[in-house]
This record gives sequence, C-alpha cells and structure tokens, in this order.
Amino acid sequence: MPSSAPVDADTIYDAVIVGSGVSGSLVANELSKQGFHVLVLEAGPGEDQTIRGYEKYLSRFYEATSKDNNSPYPANPNASMPRSPAVHSLAAGQPDSSSYLVQNGPFPLDSTYTRTLGGTTMHWEGKALRMLPEDFETRSRYGQGLDWPISYDELAPHYRRAERELGVSADVQDQAELGIPFEPGYVFPMQGLPASYLDQAVAAGIDGTGVRLDGEDYHLKVRAFPQARNGIPNAAYDGGKGYVPVGAVSTHQVEQGERCQGNNNCVPLCPVQAKYHAGKTLAKALAGTVGKVDLRTQAVASRVHVDHVTGRVSHLEYKAYADPGSPEHTTHTVRARLFVLAANAVETPRLMLASGLPSSSALMGRNLMDHAYLLTWGLMPGPVGTMRGTVCTSGISDLRGGAFRHGQAAFAADIHNDGWGWAGGTPEVQVLDLVDSMNAFGPDLRRGAVDRISRQLLLAWMVELMPDPSNRITVDGRYKDALGNLKPVLSYNIADYTLAGVAQARSLSRRLFQRLGVEDHTDYRPTDVGYVSYQGEGYVIRGGNHWSGTHVMGTTPANSVVDADQRSWDHENLFLVGSGSMPSIGTSNTTLTLAALCLKSAEQMVRQLRDETSAVELATTTGSAQA
Amino acid sequence: MTLSRITTKADLQDYLHAAMQLEHATIPPYLTALYSIHPGTNSDAFHVIRVVAVEEMLHLTLAANMLNAVGGEPDMTRAGFVPRYPAYLPDGEADFEVSLERFSPTAIGTFLKIERPAQAPSEEMRVLRRPKPRAAIPAVHPDGDDGLHFWSIGEFYAEIARGIQHLHDQGVDLFTGDPSRQVTPELYYSGGGEVIPVKDLASALAAVELISEQGEGLTGSIYDEEGELSHYFRFQQLTLGRYYQAGDVANSPTGPALEVDWDAVYPLLTNATITDFPAGSEVRAAAEAFNAGYAEFLSLVNQAFTGQPDLLIPAVGEMFALRDQVGRLVRNPAPGRPGVNAAPTFDMPETTR
Amino acid sequence: MSAQTRLEPFLAFSSRVTAFTVFELQGTGQAAAYLETVVGVVGEALLGDLLSIDEAIQREADGDAAVRDRLLRARIFSDERLGPVARHIIKLWYLGTWYALPKDWHEVFGSVEDDVTFVVSAAAYAEGLVWPAIGANPPGAKGPGYGTWAMPPKIPAF
Ligand SMILES: Cc1cc2nc3c(=O)[nH]c(=O)nc-3n(C[C@H](O)[C@H](O)[C@H](O)COP(=O)(O)OP(=O)(O)OC[C@H]3O[C@@H](n4cnc5c(N)ncnc54)[C@H](O)[C@@H]3O)c2cc1C
Ligand code: SF4
Repeated sequence: MPSSAPVDADTIYDAVIVGSGVSGSLVANELSKQGFHVLVLEAGPGEDQTIRGYEKYLSRFYEATSKDNNSPYPANPNASMPRSPAVHSLAAGQPDSSSYLVQNGPFPLDSTYTRTLGGTTMHWEGKALRMLPEDFETRSRYGQGLDWPISYDELAPHYRRAERELGVSADVQDQAELGIPFEPGYVFPMQGLPASYLDQAVAAGIDGTGVRLDGEDYHLKVRAFPQARNGIPNAAYDGGKGYVPVGAVSTHQVEQGERCQGNNNCVPLCPVQAKYHAGKTLAKALAGTVGKVDLRTQAVASRVHVDHVTGRVSHLEYKAYADPGSPEHTTHTVRARLFVLAANAVETPRLMLASGLPSSSALMGRNLMDHAYLLTWGLMPGPVGTMRGTVCTSGISDLRGGAFRHGQAAFAADIHNDGWGWAGGTPEVQVLDLVDSMNAFGPDLRRGAVDRISRQLLLAWMVELMPDPSNRITVDGRYKDALGNLKPVLSYNIADYTLAGVAQARSLSRRLFQRLGVEDHTDYRPTDVGYVSYQGEGYVIRGGNHWSGTHVMGTTPANSVVDADQRSWDHENLFLVGSGSMPSIGTSNTTLTLAALCLKSAEQMVRQLRDETSAVELATTTGSAQA
Repeated sequence: MTLSRITTKADLQDYLHAAMQLEHATIPPYLTALYSIHPGTNSDAFHVIRVVAVEEMLHLTLAANMLNAVGGEPDMTRAGFVPRYPAYLPDGEADFEVSLERFSPTAIGTFLKIERPAQAPSEEMRVLRRPKPRAAIPAVHPDGDDGLHFWSIGEFYAEIARGIQHLHDQGVDLFTGDPSRQVTPELYYSGGGEVIPVKDLASALAAVELISEQGEGLTGSIYDEEGELSHYFRFQQLTLGRYYQAGDVANSPTGPALEVDWDAVYPLLTNATITDFPAGSEVRAAAEAFNAGYAEFLSLVNQAFTGQPDLLIPAVGEMFALRDQVGRLVRNPAPGRPGVNAAPTFDMPETTR
Repeated sequence: MSAQTRLEPFLAFSSRVTAFTVFELQGTGQAAAYLETVVGVVGEALLGDLLSIDEAIQREADGDAAVRDRLLRARIFSDERLGPVARHIIKLWYLGTWYALPKDWHEVFGSVEDDVTFVVSAAAYAEGLVWPAIGANPPGAKGPGYGTWAMPPKIPAF
C-alpha cells in the first residue's frame, strides 16, 4: 500500500470517504472499480501497511499486561477509542467522562471499536451471519422495533457479494435450516470450519433439547457459525469456478494469510491474517487501476459543511496530525461531488452532530442498538481441550426467530473455545489462583491447570435489543478530545423486552448445564459493571460491540435519517453508511449485513455520480464560496 | 543420483521421483535456518525464508501430482529419501553441498546456489558429467556414474519439460494415473501460488513452469508470471540489505532497506547427527523424538500423495507440532559442547541404523 | 556467582516447582531472561539464599518426593522473605510475566525501584508453560494448524 498522500486542496474528488473500516473500504473499492477518484480519510495511524507494522501490533499485544481487545493498538488521544477496562459502574445521574466515550448511563456499555487503518475489523471476531428474513419486519410481524425499508430478498444478492468479498466459510444447508433462504445451488466461498472438540462434546450432550416458548416447540442443535476467515475453498462455488482465498496484505511479498491456523486470537488480532480485515479490501482499492484511491491517514474529519441553499454538502474539514503523542495539527478542507461517512455507528453521528446536523427527523444518534450479552460459565466433567481453535466455531441458533418475539427478545448462544476469558477467568487468572491461593506447585500445579482450564465452557448468549430513540449518541460542548473534537456521549438502557430474553437465556443455560453435567460457576455480583436485576434475579450484561441504528434508514424523511440506499434525506450528496443505518439487528452480528448494505449503496452512488454531471460545477462554486 | 536423458515413461517417472527428493531435500536446511532465528527478531529474513520454505512444500506437492499423473507411486518413506547432510542436491549439482546450519551469511550463500538462475555460465556446464560425489543421495538407478547432472534446478526441470513434451510427441500414453490422487487447490494454498492438479500435457507443463519460475523467475525477469519475486532474488535481498520493488532489475533493488541481525541466532551445531548428543541426555531423547515425528510426518504426507489427499490437512498440524519441537531443541545447549546449541538432525530411522 | 553458574541451580529449582524438565525450561529460550529478571528485582543475595536452601532440601530429601515437597513448603514457600519470590518464579515460567511483589513484602524486605508488573518480552508471553501444560497454543502465537481443534486435546503426560 502506498503511504499517505498529501491532499491537494484544489482537487475535486468524485467522492470523499471518512473511515477506512470495512464500510469505507468497500465503498472505496466499488467506486474506484467504476473509474472514480476517491479520497479516504482515516483518523487513525496506518502502521500496518507493512508486515513489520502488523507485527508491531502483535508484539504490542504479546507484551501488554492487560490483553483487552484494543491492546494491540497504541493509545492515541488524537483519535481515541473506547476500551473496555475503562468502563466503570455508574452512579445515578453522574456521567462518567473519565475516558473517551462519555457514559451518561443509566447502563454502562463496555463495547468498543478501533480507530486505526482498517477500522474495527482489525480486531473483530469474524462471525459473518445473515439476518433472518423476519428480522427485516419485526414491527409488522411482532409489533416490536422498526421495519426495514427493504426486505431480505432485496438484500440477498448483496449478501452474496459480501460473502465473496469477506471470504465466508460456512455450510449452506446448516444455515438454510434456520429459515434463511438461499438461491438454489448456492454454496459459500469456503467450506464450514470444523467444529471444535468442545463443540462436539457440547453437541453430544444437548442436541435435541426441546424448548417451549410462547406455546411453540423448538429443538436445539449445535451448529457452526459462518465465519469470515480462510478455510477450505468450495470447488462448487460460483457455478464451479471455485474461490481463491485472499491472503495477507503487505508491501513486500511476504505472503501469509493461509488457512486459519487456530491461533485462538481472532480478537484482538489474527497473527496470520486468515481472518478478513478491511485492509484486504483497501489494498485492492489502492491497487486498482480503473479509478484512483488516495488515502490520508492521521486525518480526523471534524466538520461537515452544508450549503444551506441547496442542502448539499459543500466541503469537509479535517484535522491532520503528525504525531499521535502531540495535539499539534493542521486543519484542511476537501471538496468532492459525493461525501460518504463510514466512521461507524458512534463516530458518524458524532461527526454529524458536532457539525450541527441533527437531521430533520431529529433522529441522528438515536435508536442506538447493540446486542446484550449474558455470559454463563462452568466446568465440563472432563478435559475438552478448551483454548484451542478460533474464538468460537459453533453455537445455538435455533431461537433466533419465532412468534415468541411478540413478548421477548430472540437470543442465540456462542460456545467459546477461549474458555472463561470474557468472564474474567482467563488461564492467567487460574494460574495465579492456583499458585497464590491453592498453594499448588510442581505436579499439582500442572494437573490443576488442566483441571481448571481444559474443562472450561463459556456460553455467550446474544440477546437482541430493539431500537429506542432514548438510547443515543450525543455531543456536549463540555467534552472534547485532544484535537478539540467533541467526544461522543452515550445514553443507554436495556428494556424489559431484552431482559426477558436475558432471563430466558439464563434458565435455558441452567438446563443445558444440567444435561451436560457441567459445574456451574456463573456468578453475577452487584459490584460488576453491567449488573442489572430483573424480576428478582441479578444478571451482568456486557456490550456486544455491534453499535447500530444511529442514522436509521426508513421510508420517509420524517421517520429516518437515510433512505434505503443509505443516502441522507436532507443532503442528496451525502451517504451515511454502516450499521448505523440498520433499523434492527436481530441476533446477527452486524458486519455482513452492513457490508451488503454498503455494496448496495455503492451502486446508487455510481448511478448518482454518472447522472449528476452538472453537480461538478455546483460543488466547485459552492465549495470555493465557502472555503 | 544418475539420470539419463528422458526417453521413456519410466525415465520420466525416475526424474519425478528425483524431483520430489530434490524439493524435499531443500526443506530441512531452510527450516533449520528459519527456526534458528531468535523469535521476534529478523522479521524480514524470517519471512523471506519462510515463504521460500512454504513454496518448496508446494513444489513437492506439484512434483507428487506430476508423478501421480503419469502413473508413478510417490514414496517418501523409502530409505535414503531424506539425505544425510551435508548433501549434494539430487539433480546432480556437484559444485556445492547443502548443510543443516543456522541462519548465517554462509547459509544464505548456499540458498542462493540452490535457487540460482537456470542458465549455466557456459553451455558445457549446463549438463555435466561428474564423478560420483561423496555423500551423494542414493540413486534410483543402482548403476554407475555415467548419468547427467544439472547446473541448476531450472535446468533439471527444463529436462523434465522437454521429456514430457517429447514423450507426448511420440504418442506415449502419459497421463494414466488415478485423478483422485491429485492434490487440489482446496487442500493446499498459500499466499504464494496455487497447487495445480495435473491431468494432461498442459497442466503438467504448467506445473513445471510454476516450480521453475518461483525458483528463479521468468526468463530474464526477477518476477514470475504472478508478479512474485523469485526465490533467488528473495534471498539476494538479505545479502544486499534491500527489498526489490516493482520495476527493479536484477541485482539492483531499490525498495525499502531491510535489516538483518546475524547475531540474533541460536548457535546451532552444523550438520548435527543423533550421535552428537550423548545417549541418555534429554537433548538426545528430544532429538530422537523429533526424528520419529518427522518420519511420521513424511509418512502421513506420503499417504496424502498416494490416495488420501485429505490427510494433508492434519499433516499441516503435525508440521506445526514439529516446529515447536525444533524450537525447544535449538534453545538447548548441546551437552558437552560449550557455546553450541542442539539442532534437529533429520536422521531417519534407516539412516541411523 | 556468575550468571552461568547460577543458571544451573535456578533451572533445577524451577524444574521442581513447575513440573517441567530442565530441557523443556531451556526450550523456552527464556531461562537467562527470567534469571536476570529475578536478580534484577530481588537481588543476588536473596536468590542465592533461595537456591542454596533448595539445594540443601534436595540433599536432605534424597529423592523422596514427599519429603522434598514438605521441606519446600516449610523452608521456602512459607518463608516470608522467600515464599513470594518462589511463587513469582513459578508465575514467570507459566505466564512469562513478572508480577510486582506484595506491598507488605516491600515494607519488610526493602523496596525495590523497578518492581512493577510486566511481561518479560513478547517471546516470553508465547513461551508461557501454561500452554503446553494444557496442550494448547498461546493465543496469537504458535498456531497449531487448521482443524486441529476438532481433535481431542493432546495434554502431555509428565
Ligand atoms: C471485539 C469485537 C468483536 C467483533 N466481532 C464481530 C463479529 O464476530 N461479527 C460481526 O459481524 N461483527 C463483529 N464486530 C463488529 C465489527 O467489527 C463492526 O461491525 C465493523 O468493523 C464496523 O465496520 P465499519 O467500517 O462500519 O466501522 P469501523 O470498522 O469502526 O471503521 C470506522 C473507521 O473510521 C475511522 N474514523 C472514525 N472517526 C473518524 C473521523 N472523524 N475521521 C476519519 N476517520 C474516522 C476509524 O478510525 C475507523 O477506521 C466486532 C467488534 C468488536 C469490537
Ligand atoms: S483462529 Fe487464529 S488463525 Fe484463525 S482466524 Fe483466529 S486468529 Fe486467525
């Protein structure tokens, strides 16, 4: 990849894209394939442009005493990011502004994202699920949440393209059984990943378990999740043409990025780049020869300027810094025919609100959703080889849909191959406890480690959350970051609809543990961050990192911020892309869906750029008038 | 070994056996150098050697595919398949030996010879006759020393390509092997090229071409058809201290500088054999365990090449386990040899006895 | 004592308290770095005491594991000065991390400037013995290969 290009103030780009995550990279690549000249602005540093840079991430992770999911990425006050260890319990009515993301409560959310070249996919886990058709119409079917302006069928072709771009490994039959329609003969680019030994042990104990919800019977089956990581290519893919997996990206031909090797470290960083990350798409975009993509890293978009006569975005302001350790920066202006904000569901509305653009619907930043995760954990009767494989290979997906969603949230469960880590019971914690409290050494210590780690089972229950306008991202003049940009302020709560699902998940977990003979070690304490009580029982709820809904799409300028193409209703040359556009998230990790949406939107952008030849002049005149 | 010009299908099979042996023979030296590097140091060198080693495994697989395609029976478990190092390469390059040694300028010098461009300095040197060398690899043919020897791996493969074409032109029914024995791209891929299932003249020639190009580059270019830098020039970057980049010509890289720390390397015993380590020592036991593991690995890969291609997937797992064993060996002092560390010996059971 | 001569008793002690052989300990490539870490924080004298007590225990136990373990507990692990350091040596080997010693230890036995919790090096993280103990790889390093996770774990006997 070429390094950061200086931006020519006189150039009028076809499109300026804010953010080099998967959303921004996909759009950049699509536009450049159609011959357009694109500028990508990335707030974070671009260290991983070489393998050596990538390895720096890796050793930073190895050397970090706290291995949280942003540990490979250096602290950068100029383009900060939320870190889960920085989240604390909140006192009523007292916002916590001690870290980048200001928590206004009442519920403290420990979700994160990454501000670096490639964005959050650098440390995402890589589950790549399609949403269920019914997820697109929860309002009309179940009287909950919001309907999408498009159906599953309309998105399906884009899902297929997204699965190609992200390189998804999955078994189509398994997914079809969940009620997801695929075109006849479709297979995923790569075969499903083998289930872990732990998965197999769990499946042997629980497959066939009956669950009755709202008068309907469901039967559980452990099945593998679709994953955006390199597995065995499907020879039958694409009508028999097969699929060529995408390896690592780097400047010097140090090919890596073979098949997933089971490093058990997908979050925070895949050491061999078997896992998809946006850098792979970005590399293609930068290497493309039809159009041209310029990349500017360490450039934080700071203000969107609108021409109040035409309603169009005239130009964008950004702050460029040379050294992450110093707030010194210069402010620049860029002009383009089209503006695409792909800074994620927190940063995009933050930027719009900081620019004084709350949307005529007043919905900018509202309807914030994330998945509520409930963890349950215990010890299997014997060693099952926990801590091997990808972070998660399989889980329970049979309760993702159904009529019970009238009254309670749908939910799914991940079987975590990485054991109790998420619940704080890492191998490190076990060893320290064995040595310090159990006074174990020598053979007792070795046996103890096997006993306490290789038997671990952790189920992460993903519970859906419906859009609620009072869950939101705002800005507040009191809170600014090192460059003087307004920090995001989060207000968040978890509704009873979701809590009912949480409670259901907890009781199902008990049954499953009973079937498996698992020693239940689940423990929720009132002092834990994310503790809630519901109907007399306490739970600890964690963030799912699936920020969404904050520039919701809909059918009219009154009920939404963007239309079905993620184009702003207010500003016709502005697209807000990413999971912020999603009106619901069901029980599906958001990235495959947001990727499909971005591919769909890119088609509209191309049409618009082709049609709007006159807009060039418009942009030029209004741009220079304001500059 | 001794080879005559290819005139029969049996000759071709002999060549392909030799090709498998040749491709394999480079792997222990590359891996020994690779894992002698202190973890976390010499990132550039580590990746350069690693990529080449991985591609040698690809070449081994391609040679097996060719041999299977022409009805041969790969056998990597036979006595003598793994050479005793130092060794001459099995294509008869007689002017240098290959050692198991740590990452060092000498080792890279040898690697450059292994991957040297096809063209011999003079036509006479291209195919040479030579006396039977010391510690040569046991021959496929049990006969004397009147065979052909090649100046480079490229020349050797040029003869294979010529032979295939020649036999094909003669109307010999070449591709009689069982197609289900072919290793397909689903089972084997890396960033550096795809395995080619061999089923006819075109795919056989494509496989030969891929091997030679990855080794030495497209004739007259430092890159192969995929735009990948050839092995020779990859290694040369380490001696020149600079990366090649697109547009560069041979011997004058203009890419970013590359750093090599020749000292961040474990001081391995060169060409160690199992008897270098005292019987009863932990090092001896570990070195023996490694050798047994390596023999098992070869046998697993051989099963993959003789009808069960799916076994390549677990074979990779075995290989990673061997990597960790090598790691332990090279960090242990060799008993009774101050300042020198143990090393994998790659003695196969039959060579130790 | 030179670093080289100290290494041997250090490895012998480490082997007993970790249940990994000296070969396996050397195989991590971290022996020198760990020794240096311990000496750097608690000083030569303390480590020297610990190792000579350990040697005396070996002589006394004369191969009887039960006696040895009892003596290790009585004279080292329960010793207010040596115990915390001995436990930290185990943690070094298992996790590649030096943990800051407890505050009350510092109050009694003298404060040490550099005693903070740190990962000895990136390589040390990857060489933590807890991973081979459970038959797994350290997350993010030494990937075991595609699909190996579907097989039963290979937990090494010792
Ligand atoms: C631990 C974790 C695990 C996850 N696992 C999964 C999973 O398994 N499956 C799944 O589907 N999803 C998962 N996700 C979510 C997934 O990572 C995100 O949905 C996805 O990466 C979002 O992509 P994006 O491009 O929209 O935003 P991002 O990836 O966040 O990219 C936004 C980019 O914009 C840049 N930016 C921000 N502000 C500015 C500015 N002002 N100016 C310039 N640039 C700016 C940022 O630096 C960043 O590079 C996970 C997330 C986390 C944190
Ligand atoms: S398991 Fe490992 S190799 Fe596989 S994707 Fe995750 S981190 Fe990468």
